[in-house]
Amino acid sequence: MASSIFYLACVLGIATAALYLLVRPGARALKLGATVVGLGALGWLVQQFVGMLGGDDPSDRPGVIFFIFSLIAVASAVRMITHSRPIYSALYFVMVVLSSAGLFLLLEAEFMAFALIIVYAGAILITYLFVLMLAQQAPGEDGTVQSPEYDRIPREPAAGVAVGFVMLALLSEMIFSGVSTELTEPPVAAAEVAAWRELEQMPGQLRRELIRVDPDLEESFPADQTPAKFSRIDEQGGIFTVGPLGSSGQTYEVSLPHSAMPQNIQRVGWALVHQYPASLELAGVILLMAMFGAVVLAQRQIELSDDEKLEAARAHQSARDAANGGDA
Amino acid sequence: MMLAAIENLGSITLSHYIFTSALLFVIGLIGFVTRRNMIVMFLCTELMFQGAAIAMIAFGRFHLNASGQVFVIFILTVAAAEAALALALVVLLYRRRETLSAEVWSELKE
Repeated sequence: MASSIFYLACVLGIATAALYLLVRPGARALKLGATVVGLGALGWLVQQFVGMLGGDDPSDRPGVIFFIFSLIAVASAVRMITHSRPIYSALYFVMVVLSSAGLFLLLEAEFMAFALIIVYAGAILITYLFVLMLAQQAPGEDGTVQSPEYDRIPREPAAGVAVGFVMLALLSEMIFSGVSTELTEPPVAAAEVAAWRELEQMPGQLRRELIRVDPDLEESFPADQTPAKFSRIDEQGGIFTVGPLGSSGQTYEVSLPHSAMPQNIQRVGWALVHQYPASLELAGVILLMAMFGAVVLAQRQIELSDDEKLEAARAHQSARDAANGGDA
Repeated sequence: MMLAAIENLGSITLSHYIFTSALLFVIGLIGFVTRRNMIVMFLCTELMFQGAAIAMIAFGRFHLNASGQVFVIFILTVAAAEAALALALVVLLYRRRETLSAEVWSELKE
């Protein structure tokens, strides 16, 4: 295990060196070479992970989809921070968002996957694109758009990549040795009991599911009350005790199948309003304040003094001269 | 359904997802440090949010509860608020100096 951690560190080092070459301005051939080396390092990582999967059991297919999505995500993220045109950076970020939505789907967070696409790719990224287009440099005399110097030349690429490498090394050391390397058996039974207890709190849904299993219940109990309590789980699903909950009367048990469990979106909604209501309110306040702040900031007219105007014009002119000088 | 879901996970482990999220986070960090365009710097923070979101969802899936997804809803909220404010600020600053370079604004005092 120790040697594999060592190899992992080496490969991550190679990958970060390749990333450094990509971030740095340089010859196209060098960048091509760095891309190949980086892809090779990523391929090694994938192969290691596939080795960890063990065997070529067809039930490992979801693994392939996972690797495709995460490779797309990581590769577009690298391209996003290395591209010299901000608009393309934003578009590559859309790729990252889409592929992580795919990862969310694999993790059975369907609601979050689509919320991510709608909110991130649909709303936030469009705002970014609008601002990028507002703040675009005018094309030069020959009609070509020259990306400004601050987009072409990075700031401290070596230090940045080194910090990133140390951070990634620490994180992966934690991931691969600190925490267990296998998806250990989660306390499935406890989680299942929790899910059934959530169903118990949703009377309408519970009544529908009970009637689906046992249609006689429709006559015996009025619609506005469902005297059912969760009692225990077994292999088939959850067993609910149905009947008058007081001491009087006959109670009997109904076994609900696993398909009667609350769905992902129901569980998210329940957790949101039941476990975290204060945070939900706070989120609303944050959004309101952000809206106010954006309106106040964006509508403020700046009164430039004369010398400031002169300075801005001079800076603009010198930047344009520098760009033209670079062309000639 | 939940039991079948665990079998469907195959042998992809929690570590795989956490490693992907760590990669995205670190790439976002490198981008934030190295890029000089203010808008791209904010985009890189969004990339870091994205990494955190994947970690949250993976942990929530691991513990089979919905809290991870609820946290991602809050992450989305904060990201949206941050984008609105940051972009308003960037528009304001751009009107003033006609450049997006972060270094021009190393001193914000009037």
